[in-house]
Amino acid sequence: MTTAIAGPPRSTGDRADEADTARRPKSSWAPYLFISPFYLLYILFMLVPIVVSLWLSLTEWVGLGTPHWVGLRNYRLLATDISFHRALGNTAVFVLVAVCVVVPLALLIAQALNTRGLRVRDLWRTAYFVPVVVSPILVALIFGLVFDRQFGLANSVLRALFGTGGVDWLGDPSLAKASIALVMLWRWTGYLTVFFLAGLQNVPRELYEAAALDGAGRLRTFSTVTLPALKPVTAFVVVTSFIGAAQIFEEPYLLTGGGPAESTLSVTMFIYRAAFQRQQFGYAAAAAVVLFVLVFGLSRLVNRLLGIGRAS
Amino acid sequence: MRTRLPLYGVLVLLLLAFLAPLLWALSGSFKPRGDIFAYPPRLIPDPFTLDNYQRLFSGQPFWRWFLMSTVVALAATAVSVFVCALAGYGFAKFRFAGRKLLFGVMFSSLSIPFAVILVPLFVMLVKTGLGSPWFALIVPWVAPAFGIFMMQQYIVQSIPDSVLEAARIDGAGEFGIFRTIVLPLLRPALGALAVWQFLQSYNSFLWPLVLVSDSSQYTLPLGLQTLFVSEQRQYDLVLAGAVIAVVPAVALFVLLRKQLLEGLSTGAVKG
Repeated sequence: MTTAIAGPPRSTGDRADEADTARRPKSSWAPYLFISPFYLLYILFMLVPIVVSLWLSLTEWVGLGTPHWVGLRNYRLLATDISFHRALGNTAVFVLVAVCVVVPLALLIAQALNTRGLRVRDLWRTAYFVPVVVSPILVALIFGLVFDRQFGLANSVLRALFGTGGVDWLGDPSLAKASIALVMLWRWTGYLTVFFLAGLQNVPRELYEAAALDGAGRLRTFSTVTLPALKPVTAFVVVTSFIGAAQIFEEPYLLTGGGPAESTLSVTMFIYRAAFQRQQFGYAAAAAVVLFVLVFGLSRLVNRLLGIGRAS
Repeated sequence: MRTRLPLYGVLVLLLLAFLAPLLWALSGSFKPRGDIFAYPPRLIPDPFTLDNYQRLFSGQPFWRWFLMSTVVALAATAVSVFVCALAGYGFAKFRFAGRKLLFGVMFSSLSIPFAVILVPLFVMLVKTGLGSPWFALIVPWVAPAFGIFMMQQYIVQSIPDSVLEAARIDGAGEFGIFRTIVLPLLRPALGALAVWQFLQSYNSFLWPLVLVSDSSQYTLPLGLQTLFVSEQRQYDLVLAGAVIAVVPAVALFVLLRKQLLEGLSTGAVKG
């Protein structure tokens, strides 16, 4: 991500010397000591669980007694499990909404907040961020009331504006999916706006002035100056929201229980349901491994393409 | 100014969209049960009542849930912030064999969905009986790669090598330098990370849901959920509880928002 420390030695005299000595502390074991607590915890609570997950996925286990080795059977079952396909499809929809709707909307808002001379910018930024601070369960509880069929705020507003209400927000398969997406939008847009706004404020003003001198219009300036300058931020935001949306759980679990007709069942919910409601630990582990491969693989790929996450 | 009017209009509309559900919940918590869903919705409760709060405190172990969440979140925050500062400093100010690889491994753990370690972590900590719920509730938040990355970026950008070098010439030990020079300079970033970590743990739902079966060890989100999913959907109590639960989170955020918002974006911006 940065070149300040790990780049090649600089050629200018005193700065190079200064940097060089600082890079060679007396004890060579010091850096390893500094990073070791993290790796210890990482191995215990990340690496070991992943290995356990891999192993469990090859077994059949109800959570009691000894797991029974079944080889790849869980994966074969997953391949034909309609519920799992639905969970994958729903999760893909949520990911698409996050990346194709939430991210652009956040960019638009950031762009608006970046307008020169905007008053109380900090207030807007803070207010939009508040939903992130609110715990997901509270979000789900509140939106459970908002989307209540008979009395909810959503229907009240509709009735006041258009005289029609009674929309079954959470009871209709496609509306339920849209409702969950709406909650996602509400919850994450402000968070992503923060990143875009920081990125926009880092674009050198001269670039805009140069574009203005060239007579570039708004759209032109946006596509030739703003977007290229925002590339690293965009990469970060896209990967972050991809990973976040791929793990969506609280909203469908609390708002719809995955229904109606599994129209909002997410992969994480599928895993939860298999393990903790149906005692199919091996099966849940196999679904988790599939999720891992998809999320890890895709986000690594995007990282590589866009070049984020390098130490130097 | 005239040309700005539409902009402010849009911003205000957005503001309403972002805050309306929360304000509605806040006002609902002060309404008698029958008024919460009254149509048209009324923002100012009339009659105004504290009854929901009173019943929440008298009929539910609300303070115990609250304490459980807060203590767990504080412990998780303390541990993780320290671990992140250490590792962030290690990556930012030293060159060592395997640095790139180790950094890459750390960074890539950002892309590991929690659901992947959910089942095995449960098996390891509960089935083997190794961890008490207290310990287990803290575990998932103690080594966040995100925090290390944030610290590393901040240290690179704001702590000059010359300061560290001067201390080394004076004969200070490496950990001494970290404690007496780096940590104090890191304060703003530590504050930001601490708020973020606190919120992560305080707001967590899935892991406590899986882990805690004994209702005396419920965290706040779990407790509130029981009110919500119970037969009679106690909306009035849920709203009151939701309001109280959100107070520490919002207070922390408002207090440290500048650091938090800037800290969060440090890494992303430089790319």
